[in-house]
Amino acid sequence: MATTSAPGTEFSDDLSAGFVDAGGDLAPGTGPWKLGWRRLRRNKVALFFGGVFLVIVVLCLLAPVYSQDIAHVSPSLGNITGTIRVGGKTENIVSLTGIPIGPTWDPSHYFLGADTLGRDTAVRLLYGGRNSLEIGAVATLLTMVLALIVGIAAGYFRGIADGVLSRILDIIWAYPVLLLGITLGTVIAVGGIGPIKGSNLLVPAFVIGFVYIPYVAKPVRGQVLQLREREFIDAARQQGLSHARIMFSEIMPNLSSTILVFIPLILANAILLEAALSYLGVGVEPPNPSWGNMIADGLTTIPEAFHNVLVPGLMLVLAVMSINIFGDGLRDALDPRAKVRIAH
Amino acid sequence: MKRYTRPAAAMVLTVIAALVIGACGSSSSSSSSSSSSAGASSGSSSSSGAKGGTVNMVEGVFPQSLDAGDDYTTQGAEINWVTYTGLTTYAHVNGIGGTKLIPGLATALPTITDGGKTYTATLRKGLVFSNGKPVTASDFAYTVERSIKIPWGGSGEFITPVIVGGTAFSTGKAKSVSGITTNNATGKIVIHLVAPYGAFDNVLAEPTLGIVPAGTPFSNQPNHPPPGVGPYVTKNIVPGVSYSSDINPLWAKMNVPGIPAGHVNVNVKVSSNVASNALSVLNNTADIFDWADTIPGSLLPQIQTKAASRYKLVNLGGSTYYIFMNATKKPFSSQLAREAVMTGLNQDAMTRLGAGTLVPACFFLPPAVAGHPTAPCPYGTPGLGNLAKAKALVKQSGMEGQPVTVWSQERAPRQQWMTYYTQFLNQIGFKATQKLIADATYFTTVGELKLHPQTGFADWNQDFTNPVDFYGVLLDGHAILPTNNENFGEVNDPHVNAEVAKLGTIPTTQLQKNASQWQALDEYVAKKAYVAVFGYQKFPFFASDRINYGALVLSPIYGWDLTSFQLK
Repeated sequence: MATTSAPGTEFSDDLSAGFVDAGGDLAPGTGPWKLGWRRLRRNKVALFFGGVFLVIVVLCLLAPVYSQDIAHVSPSLGNITGTIRVGGKTENIVSLTGIPIGPTWDPSHYFLGADTLGRDTAVRLLYGGRNSLEIGAVATLLTMVLALIVGIAAGYFRGIADGVLSRILDIIWAYPVLLLGITLGTVIAVGGIGPIKGSNLLVPAFVIGFVYIPYVAKPVRGQVLQLREREFIDAARQQGLSHARIMFSEIMPNLSSTILVFIPLILANAILLEAALSYLGVGVEPPNPSWGNMIADGLTTIPEAFHNVLVPGLMLVLAVMSINIFGDGLRDALDPRAKVRIAH
Repeated sequence: MKRYTRPAAAMVLTVIAALVIGACGSSSSSSSSSSSSAGASSGSSSSSGAKGGTVNMVEGVFPQSLDAGDDYTTQGAEINWVTYTGLTTYAHVNGIGGTKLIPGLATALPTITDGGKTYTATLRKGLVFSNGKPVTASDFAYTVERSIKIPWGGSGEFITPVIVGGTAFSTGKAKSVSGITTNNATGKIVIHLVAPYGAFDNVLAEPTLGIVPAGTPFSNQPNHPPPGVGPYVTKNIVPGVSYSSDINPLWAKMNVPGIPAGHVNVNVKVSSNVASNALSVLNNTADIFDWADTIPGSLLPQIQTKAASRYKLVNLGGSTYYIFMNATKKPFSSQLAREAVMTGLNQDAMTRLGAGTLVPACFFLPPAVAGHPTAPCPYGTPGLGNLAKAKALVKQSGMEGQPVTVWSQERAPRQQWMTYYTQFLNQIGFKATQKLIADATYFTTVGELKLHPQTGFADWNQDFTNPVDFYGVLLDGHAILPTNNENFGEVNDPHVNAEVAKLGTIPTTQLQKNASQWQALDEYVAKKAYVAVFGYQKFPFFASDRINYGALVLSPIYGWDLTSFQLK
């Protein structure tokens, strides 16, 4: 995974691009955030997909409402031997040979069909989305916090501290993300982390958050190496500010656009990695739903009941694509000359 | 032998009528006989097919070990019984004929004297290991010692306490097993037992007692298994992924009657995606579907339509699928809690999750084994289960709210069975969570006594058709081992122990006379709810178009007979 960043933030000397992007009708002194917002507003595609992602988040947050008030089933409770009426006919929710019913298109009864355990696919899709998004969000938060601390410290102090921290990051970065995720997920799932049991949703969140630290920390370190040579840092030192104060009050605000650009990138990758780990059985443990483990479960019912693979798969694609497109738009708006990306 | 299930519909009918074989417990292996007649079918390896070539077999889980000294699974036994031949073995035919003991590397079945306590056999002349080294009688003694030391999962029941000096050797108090004497010059082997053990002839047929060279390390050698004597040699092992069974070029010259040479080499590929495995056999990109795996229900219509001439489902009646419940740990230390599971478990649901291949059941001994009860189930006819009554029993037991970890394999439908079981335990008042373990390491993991697993999936396929194979390994308190334990529920009931000790001495040939005593024991165990049996499995007998289907043999003891594989 290669991560590069090129100079050219809103703080660069060349402001003409900003004026051109904003249509050239801005008063002098227009702030970079306002500039960024205007650029983003012009990017209808990014806004659309940002809206799509918001809709997905809201739907998933409303999972308990759908589960209790509309579908009247819980995500874990199955009804393998039950029956329902579809189009006037009584059908088995799960047939005698284990094939679950397909979509009924009735929101109150198996709208998107059932899985092999007779559980409502639509309910599990929404709860699975909650889990996937929650894990993605926690992992992203963990990555950003730890990566910022490590990256800023490494870039600011340089020397031995930078050497040690950079080598640790290199070691983590050397492992393929999926392999490292599987290894950590398997080990931690057995014993948990401290008081947190192995089956807790925080476990995959910690694992995913940990593996992505180098992908943020290294570009942050690169930017800090440049920023620390700037005059305002010298001025802060001469004023007698402490190292911690300089790092987090002077340097960090200058990284805000980088941080904002990285958040959707990491979030998208975290959701994908969580789905991969759950698919492989080392992420979210059953019976908790996740889009990844729903896809894995659904494989056993192809081709007769492929909805259990198609539905969570499409949802995953839509969510990750939305975040990625919105993230690209955000990057273009805040840092038009930047080359920040995460390549696998 | 490990849990596999073996199909034997024809065998069921014959065995119930005239059971003459000791039960062996082995993991799911099934012999196909649902569509064949009840009598012994001819299915021994015929020579009508082409010789040479390679057959590709797909299986859902890697054997526990390709070293027969350690392995106790159906997947391993399927390969090991044609790689490591013992003093005795089984006939290479389908149906009930496949349960008949025949001489293996011995010139004849052992002579039994001294009231059933002394077994004498003579090794055939001219035997060599697959590496060309000559076989001697003392190699047999070494093989027994190795099985004790590793230790093989069944050694605690069938070998260590059974042979004179076995226990002393196992604990390090003796340098060899004093009860075995050998003469390399004459090939004579004499085995003294502590007490008569009716199924000992069958024990000698176990792949773990397939002779290996003296000097082989006393530890599991899964990636470089020792040389054996048999029609096949295991090679090209990629752990967890694949291995091959190649024809042993030295076997045919040894002219061991009743054990044919192989026709083809066999490449085995392991993938836990059994749907993909079934599709590959359907589409003829693989040749043999492992009988121990379950074809997903979603593929059955296609297979039954497109491959009707090369697919059938067989009920061997020699396997039991069950849930173990740890009788020493809460909540299942309470009999009421165990009864709650027996009462409430929806076996109809379990059958559907198994793509309709499960026959609902409640008794531990399956239909093909002497002693299978005919009485009604003590907690109601297996069906939808009584959830309300189960909840009441949990309340009564005082175990409501107890955390429970349900151990589960990963591949379908075992994972789905245990997911449903976990959900059921939560419904009746426990706080259950499911723990998934990779298939290849599942039984080794739950067999670690120090883990004390509370409950989880288990299955057993007969090693031999004597009930002691089920009880002696899985429910006898004396068989509890610190590692490779098979009595997962740590059942240590004095009545069970005493009955197994008494009934285990009855020779295989006299089993029918004493079947009622085994029946009584099985009914006792069902009432005590030590295990929650949820079905007897039917197995797929499924091959590609390339295979000479009529020549295929599915041993009721060991599963696919590789010597029967032939290309058209």
